[in-house]
Amino acid sequence: MNRSEFSIVVGLLCLAHPILAQDARLSARLDKPTLAAVNAIVDSARISKLPTAPLIDKALEGVARGVNGESIVVAVHQLSLRMGSAKRALASNATPDEIKAAASALDVGVSVRDLARLRAMAGKQPVTVPLAVLTDLVGQKVPIPTATDLVLQFARSGVKDSDLALFQRNVRADVDQGADPTVAATTRARGLVARGGPSPKPSE
Amino acid sequence: MRSDDDAMMKEIARQLRAPLSPPVSGSFDARVMSAVRRLPRHSRFKLWSRLTTPRTVTFTPLSWGLLAASVALFAVIGAARAFDDIQVATKPMVTALFPKTAAPRPPQRVQFVLVAPDAKKVAVVGDFNGWDVDHAGYQAKHRGGGVWSVTAPVPLGHHRYSFVVDDSVWIADPTAPRIVDSDFGVANSAIVVQEQK
Amino acid sequence: MEGSSDGVIVARVLRGDVEVFRVLVNRYRDRYARYAFHMLGNREDAEEALQDAFTRAYRSLARCEDPERFGAWLFRILVNRCRTLGARRGRRARTFVVDEGAILEAAEDHPAERNAWREEIDRGLQQLRADQREAFLLKYVEDMGYDEMSQLTGVGVSALKMRVMRACDRLRELLSEVHSA
Repeated sequence: MNRSEFSIVVGLLCLAHPILAQDARLSARLDKPTLAAVNAIVDSARISKLPTAPLIDKALEGVARGVNGESIVVAVHQLSLRMGSAKRALASNATPDEIKAAASALDVGVSVRDLARLRAMAGKQPVTVPLAVLTDLVGQKVPIPTATDLVLQFARSGVKDSDLALFQRNVRADVDQGADPTVAATTRARGLVARGGPSPKPSE
Repeated sequence: MRSDDDAMMKEIARQLRAPLSPPVSGSFDARVMSAVRRLPRHSRFKLWSRLTTPRTVTFTPLSWGLLAASVALFAVIGAARAFDDIQVATKPMVTALFPKTAAPRPPQRVQFVLVAPDAKKVAVVGDFNGWDVDHAGYQAKHRGGGVWSVTAPVPLGHHRYSFVVDDSVWIADPTAPRIVDSDFGVANSAIVVQEQK
Repeated sequence: MEGSSDGVIVARVLRGDVEVFRVLVNRYRDRYARYAFHMLGNREDAEEALQDAFTRAYRSLARCEDPERFGAWLFRILVNRCRTLGARRGRRARTFVVDEGAILEAAEDHPAERNAWREEIDRGLQQLRADQREAFLLKYVEDMGYDEMSQLTGVGVSALKMRVMRACDRLRELLSEVHSA
């Protein structure tokens, strides 16, 4: 597409802009071209039955961080793509929270296939907290296959969300004390799965 | 804890601070620039000025096709919004005719704590308050000894948030799950708020 | 352009002047090559990490939030590249038998310039765990404060202090005999 054609397309979308409902916070904080582009992405997401609040929140976060308009548009667009992939992986009845958490997991390199495996393993149980824990483990440099296997084990064993949250805090505390993240995660996980509950709190 | 700034450590550091000789191979700069030139060139695409600057536009059959697609997209978006508007407009009538049995779940009060001894101001920002650093309900109070905390309402569900110190330094919650965000290249914290039973 | 601030040069690059990026390469190359070399232990890997860091920095330049501090942002990218490359090299080392000493010597362009003490330091550094080596270099060679290190690495201050302490203990253990000789 050359620039003329692109200008026409965006021009038409900008014409549609007054008719489309806008989040008042976005209108107040984004310049007109960025607002038009973000609204177009939000509306496209709405048509695909994706949650739109995370996209608006992403734009607001960009404004708060002082990021330029172009980068905000790129970020919102990337998030919408990840949410689309997340929804396909988790099946159409995924809740907005699950889609948000899965989008974060995709961002750190967890695969769509592993999201689907987690969904299959967890059955009717929500996967929001397992996905948040998985994202955190990978962020702490636990290799993705190791972190994914741990979380799948938790799902298979029916570990409760509250126990998962305590597991995450324990691992973080161990890492802060200088432990290798993979060793900390696998050690704490052994205790969690074996006993059906969390390991004792880290010793001083 | 043993002292680690003894003479031997200082000597080791002094040795390691010496510049490499040569620092890099002779072709390093050329290799970097060659790699960089292969990447898409940056350009500031000033959308507003492109749209408002008069220019001659050539219409190709592809342009007409794109025009048609844009009009169709506009119509679909308008229809989707109209459908949403109808739903919103009829909601009171529907609610009156078919009252819901379950009451909406209120937000939970969550305590946020950060240790920041040198801070003058600490705020919590997140998707639950529009990332607003000046939001009145999310300003932490200094409790002494560098400990800042605030207990604030957070709706049920998955949220992303961060601390902002002195209106400028963003810090992820050291105790919470982290989300390393490739969109803005920063780390936020995640919290999943569930109903207290 | 040579004397212009990072912010000015970044703005030029973002407007499409790719050639001026060379000024930034020139400005940060030597100092960051030193860090990469000490982290990875050989020039080949160090140059690969550094080149990769510059390329990634160029690609994501629009996302640099504070162009006046481009150097610090680039350094964060380099630290991450060194971690990735170091991990990859570690996996290779588990598959093949690796003589770290031979690698250090083979990678040297001018062995005659390096004295034995300096070689022992390099050897000792490579025997540290990667996270301890990273913390030690940031603290002692790059002269960072712990808060700055925490921002850069995402690791808590107390964990970083522990890593630096352990690195110092280990280096002291490895190098005491040589140092006193």
